[in-house]
Amino acid sequence: MTVVPAQQSGSGGGSSGLYDVLELVLDRGLVIDAFVRVSLVGIEILKIDIRVVVASVDTYLRFAEACNRLDLEAGPKRSPGLPDLVGEITESGARGKSKGALSGAAQTISEAFKEARSEGEESPRPRSRRTTTRRKEEQE
Amino acid sequence: MTTYVYGIARRGHGRLPEQMGGIGDPPRPVRTVEQGDLVALVSDAPEGLRPKRRDLLAHQNVLAEAGAGGAVLPMRFGGVSADDEAVRAVLAEHEERYLERLEALDGKVEYNVKATHDEEAVLHQVLAENAELRALSDANRKAGGGSYEDKLRLGERIAAAVQQREVSDAALVESALDDSAEERSPGPQSTGWLANISYLVPRDATAEFVAAVDALRERAPHLVVQVHGPLPPYSFTG
Repeated sequence: MTVVPAQQSGSGGGSSGLYDVLELVLDRGLVIDAFVRVSLVGIEILKIDIRVVVASVDTYLRFAEACNRLDLEAGPKRSPGLPDLVGEITESGARGKSKGALSGAAQTISEAFKEARSEGEESPRPRSRRTTTRRKEEQE
Repeated sequence: MTTYVYGIARRGHGRLPEQMGGIGDPPRPVRTVEQGDLVALVSDAPEGLRPKRRDLLAHQNVLAEAGAGGAVLPMRFGGVSADDEAVRAVLAEHEERYLERLEALDGKVEYNVKATHDEEAVLHQVLAENAELRALSDANRKAGGGSYEDKLRLGERIAAAVQQREVSDAALVESALDDSAEERSPGPQSTGWLANISYLVPRDATAEFVAAVDALRERAPHLVVQVHGPLPPYSFTG
């Protein structure tokens, strides 16, 4: 007996893990006024983290740091507009060289350390949260 | 004994999951309450029902199973009626409206689409599009990251640019998928997605819908797009 029909295609289909559709089960669906509603007190813990950009000092600092770390020449997901960007960065980089090669090198090393440290701290962010295990539970 | 209601279907509904385990521990068996042309999918309600994981999942599973056999109006989790008689009274009172909704939802399922930015990719884009931000970022980088004030100045402008992209990318998601669905309903607000949209999709057109999502992912690699479905049409009960 299949409760949740199988995914239609490898990359595009989605399963329906409870967590991902919780808000629909709790916030959508038919409501009948004459019925008593179960209290939803305590359900807040299941709310999804705020992920959109919130204007705050923390966000600003995080973005500034992220830009600083951004590897513009070898980003894993280079945007289509990137070749232009790399060209310009290289140009301005060349201008910057006249300031002195030594400080440039020192900076690169300290950045490499910083990067290595932060990489060690941050666990990789899942690209998408397609759950396959729960689907098995929902199938018999 | 109070009665818990999962959903409402037409009396002629092909196969309702009677005797399936519903909410509660041990699971209360699912049964039907009939009235006129309608039938409610119910079970006894356990004492002190709370939105626990197993109960939410049971609610969802009963509806998914019933929905596979024909149109069902899914109830929001947690609706408890005084008894079966009170359920019949509600069915009788709203029969016309429920039948109309069941007709409209026949052969259709809900897909919920959520999108966020891939942070690194969107920062790449924002910098690629804005020479001034690029210069600021470059200057900070050369200064070993820049002072606290430098970082704030850059970060504030980057955040504003990313927020703008959130708005335009939400519109992009909508326009990319609208043609592949019959109806669209905004998902619950304030859960932190740049787009959270539910679509009503005919069962025989779900492959096209999923293909449209794939095409969107390809076109907009800076978006992380999640799709959940097919689901009971929670967002389209009217």
